[in-house]
Amino acid sequence: MINLSPQELEGTMGNPTIDLLVKALLDGDQAQAVTATKNLRDAGVGHAQIIMEGVEAAMVQLDAKCTVEEFNLLEIMLAGRAVMGVMKELYPSGTHSPQTKGTVVLGSLEGDIHDLGKNVLKMILTAKGYRVVDCGKDCPVEKMIDAAEQEADQAIGVSGLLTSVIPHVRQLREKMTERGLEHIRIMAGGATLKQASAESLNVDFVAETAFDGVSYLEQIAVGAK
Amino acid sequence: MNSIERIKAAVNFETPDRVPVIAQVFGHAATLAGVSLRDYVQDGDLLARCQIQALERYDYDAVFALMDVNVETEAVGSTLTYRANQYPDVKSYALSGGADVDSLSVPDPHEAARMPELLKAVRRLRQEVGDGVLVVGCVLGPMTLATQLLGIEAALYLAIDEPEQFAVLMDFATEVVIRFGIAQIEAGAHLPIVFDPSSSPAVIPPQFYREFVLPSLKRLFAAFKQTGVIANWLHIAGPTESVLPFYPQAGVDIANFDYSVNPLEAQQAIPQICLDGNIKSLSFIEETPEVIADESSRLLDQFADRGGFILSSGCEIPPESKPENVAAMVLATRKNG
Repeated sequence: MINLSPQELEGTMGNPTIDLLVKALLDGDQAQAVTATKNLRDAGVGHAQIIMEGVEAAMVQLDAKCTVEEFNLLEIMLAGRAVMGVMKELYPSGTHSPQTKGTVVLGSLEGDIHDLGKNVLKMILTAKGYRVVDCGKDCPVEKMIDAAEQEADQAIGVSGLLTSVIPHVRQLREKMTERGLEHIRIMAGGATLKQASAESLNVDFVAETAFDGVSYLEQIAVGAK
Repeated sequence: MNSIERIKAAVNFETPDRVPVIAQVFGHAATLAGVSLRDYVQDGDLLARCQIQALERYDYDAVFALMDVNVETEAVGSTLTYRANQYPDVKSYALSGGADVDSLSVPDPHEAARMPELLKAVRRLRQEVGDGVLVVGCVLGPMTLATQLLGIEAALYLAIDEPEQFAVLMDFATEVVIRFGIAQIEAGAHLPIVFDPSSSPAVIPPQFYREFVLPSLKRLFAAFKQTGVIANWLHIAGPTESVLPFYPQAGVDIANFDYSVNPLEAQQAIPQICLDGNIKSLSFIEETPEVIADESSRLLDQFADRGGFILSSGCEIPPESKPENVAAMVLATRKNG
């Protein structure tokens, strides 16, 4: 456990306590990440700075690591859990959440109860400053579209491990267009869906990994400016 | 050569009369026969009949007594949801709600849940094909069973937060699959395939594999070898390049490799082990027979000098696959194998 004294904090250069937070997040060590967050706050570091220089910096490094080395869900889960611990420490009631980059609706479509990949994407998006509406698993297409209509301002993301969800995925674009939701992008991912092309699934993007999906969202945001 | 001789030749890097071809046809056999998956995965006689019909149609080198990934967890105490045209999934995990591993017992394969039906399927298949065609049973890898007993997220967090407790869970899972696998061998399976999707490097890093998965696989494969399997077959999907080097230590004789793995890299990683793969599963639904034939020829060429190869899909051939695509893969070994 890290527990820096005020003297140790005072004597630091270039805010090494932020570096400790980043390291704890990359190590997936929730307890250390929360302690580092408390120390930063006690030293007068603002929430926005902790998120930008700590949480977001860790996510950038994790993204780079997963690109260079190998993406595995366990390491992302641990980092994501540590991020959630930090966010809970900063915003215990959940009411003072930071300004979001946009709202994304996620779900595993009906017939598929596999949601690990979807949950990992949710953690990364939350850590990156997005608001996520989670439709859960085995989610009917209509429920997903209702959520998109009410909540999404950027995209929906569907995950699939079973080939049986492919026909549901292919319906999304047409049904969303009928509801006037052409502006909402559709992302697909997961072990089975990523074997297919965006064109064949009738979606806007097929993500190889969760970080790949986040990059796509960030590209949309840049394009929209 | 019959199928068993052909497969043995491939495993031993000898020259078979042609390259063996194993289509990973599980629920697709039910679809072909017009039978619902719900019935197929609960009735050993029906499963065996559908498998034999698929064998007669395609004339490949193996049949599978394989229901789904939830046979063991159901036998231990998980409850499942059965659906008409899908494999069942877990409604409630045996270890949900804080249950202790010590409270669980290793199920008797002759009595517990669907295990006796799977053994029945093995017996029927062996009676039908004798030693002419490979009869493949199926057990989960201990890692995958651990995740099916607790839920995958909870199991992975347990491994990190309470590694001793996770080791106990892995020991229990290993006992369950050893007992089930041995019962399948005794019922007539030439081998049980060890199906271990949760051990994929897409899920866990190689260090985790080395620490937690490898020891349990060693025990499992040693027990199967002692019981008389003709080979130990490990099936892990996804990008397995980083864990293939562990396979010789684990006691693997046949290594499945998925579509995302470069065949030449797989050959280099495990030069002494027979490989099976790796046509993309989705291609059997989406592509044409010409594409499957081309993919098959490419693989046959890549393994022509090395040998030690079984032409197959990278993972399951999905239930709704086009029959002409399965036939195209089989035909390729007759033409070019």
